[in-house]
Amino acid sequence: MSEVGDKTAEGRPKRTRIELLVREADGDGFETREIPSGVAYLHSRPQRIPDADWEMARLPYAPAGVVTYALKNRRTEQIIQITETEKFLWEQMDGRASLQEIATSYLLHFGSFDFEIIPTLIVKLLRADLLTMRPVSRLRAVLARNRRNPAARAMEGTLHALERLTVTSRRSHQFFERIYRYGGFLLFTPWAIALLAIAVGLGTISGIKIWNNLGEVTHGLASHPLVAILLVKIVFWLTVINHQIIHALACIHYKRRVREFGFTILHGFIPTFYADVTDIFMATRRARVVNAVAGPLFHLFLGGLCFWIATLLQPGLMQGFVAASAILQIQSFFISLYPFCFLEMDGYHILVELVGVPTLNHDSVRFVRESLWRRIRTATRLTRQETIGLAYFGLSLVSIAGFVLLNVWLLTSAGKS
Amino acid sequence: MASLPEIGFLRRVVLFKDVEEQVILALWPSFHERRLKKGDVLFRAGDPGEELFLIKDGSIVVSKPVTGRVEQVLSRLAPGEVFGEMSVFGDERRRSATCQAEVDSVLYSLDRDSLNRFVASSPLAAAKFFQQMAQVAFKRLRDSSDLVAEVTRWGLEATGLDIEHK
Repeated sequence: MSEVGDKTAEGRPKRTRIELLVREADGDGFETREIPSGVAYLHSRPQRIPDADWEMARLPYAPAGVVTYALKNRRTEQIIQITETEKFLWEQMDGRASLQEIATSYLLHFGSFDFEIIPTLIVKLLRADLLTMRPVSRLRAVLARNRRNPAARAMEGTLHALERLTVTSRRSHQFFERIYRYGGFLLFTPWAIALLAIAVGLGTISGIKIWNNLGEVTHGLASHPLVAILLVKIVFWLTVINHQIIHALACIHYKRRVREFGFTILHGFIPTFYADVTDIFMATRRARVVNAVAGPLFHLFLGGLCFWIATLLQPGLMQGFVAASAILQIQSFFISLYPFCFLEMDGYHILVELVGVPTLNHDSVRFVRESLWRRIRTATRLTRQETIGLAYFGLSLVSIAGFVLLNVWLLTSAGKS
Repeated sequence: MASLPEIGFLRRVVLFKDVEEQVILALWPSFHERRLKKGDVLFRAGDPGEELFLIKDGSIVVSKPVTGRVEQVLSRLAPGEVFGEMSVFGDERRRSATCQAEVDSVLYSLDRDSLNRFVASSPLAAAKFFQQMAQVAFKRLRDSSDLVAEVTRWGLEATGLDIEHK
């Protein structure tokens, strides 16, 4: 066994070796063998997760003609981008071929070999849980490790209970296919765009009228505050369901699968409806953009419509409620489309399509956490992807700070008034 | 019993480094010579243990069973080194590892009763003996923790696991 921390002449740590003793089959005699870690690594047989748990699609926005693929872990929803050569290696990782054999077939296939490509890919695959299975979340893993601690046990129990509140249908695809067939398809025709344009036009004019009579409109709400808040919240929840239905219909429109539709407690504390349309990542870029835009546009349509209806109503609770709903819908439209907040909402998905970095959020946080300070110290020029990541990180940080400050200001202003 | 007093050899054994010559001579009749052929197993992990061994010639491989016929080599001991002391002085009187001769080897053994007599008759010499024994135990402990770290590093390298970033 070599000494811990042994160094080579270049200053890099030596590959470690363990010494094993192997007895002869009849029990008499033995031999000892030194096994360097590098040899063990070459003999390891990486196994990708079961075929049902992953999928791959060619990405259309390859820079400079480089073919890349999105490789998705269906269980964790993690997606990584791999190159043509990495795809070849991935296909070899069936648990039967050793790394040495994989490297040999790579050499025979491509005629040359880059010694860093396999370790780099393995690290990437491990991070996306595409080679090994990990517990559901880091938090759950930490809680599971600390079950002796009553607080950890209680928190784990609470999360478990909240998870059980999830109501989901895994056979929703057929349901949405029927909705699409019986009229849902109309949403993806020019008629729908024309209708949206009319609603936006009417809504803009109506919104201006309401703004001019704001005191009258809000008076209706102020006289019935509790009823008004409940009504607005209920209607908003219903529109969230519709937002998700529109996403699901867009998924059907592009011949992709709606995996789930249901209700859950997001992150353990945000009650929400959701549609699992992650299959759209395997579709074209246009399909992904349409899918992302469709949900927010529904809020825009409803917002315009509500403003128009509000102007047709007499002053009172109903007019105030409809106008408040319109404002909430417009607000939802902008929030859904705003990409810079570290949350992967609709606007974020449009942004990643524009810049061509599918894992922008993850990459940007990782770059800032692990590499940015080193790059600043060494004054190394940033790549295009790093620059995009840094800009995303910075804008998201500023946006969140601005949002927090705005809310603090609103609360303090409300307190004063 | 060992044939002739080998004071020169015992002086090289760390345990007897500071013990007076007449004490060693008095203890000498308690030593028993053991000759091992290459590949012979002296004892296996789990066997009852009543004696410690000094290596006169040869080489002893200390190993711990891992799986089937495969064992992890913990250390390789050379002439002048001592082993088997854990089951003599430790709280568990069973061998903690398997020891076998890598080449033809000559050992001297010293059983627990003889050691107890030595302690009773020469407490001062016994104190020096145990002081050196403590040094041996500390070195074993250091070697074990180094081995744990090394095996962990081996595992990380062999699996390509990137712990720093995940």
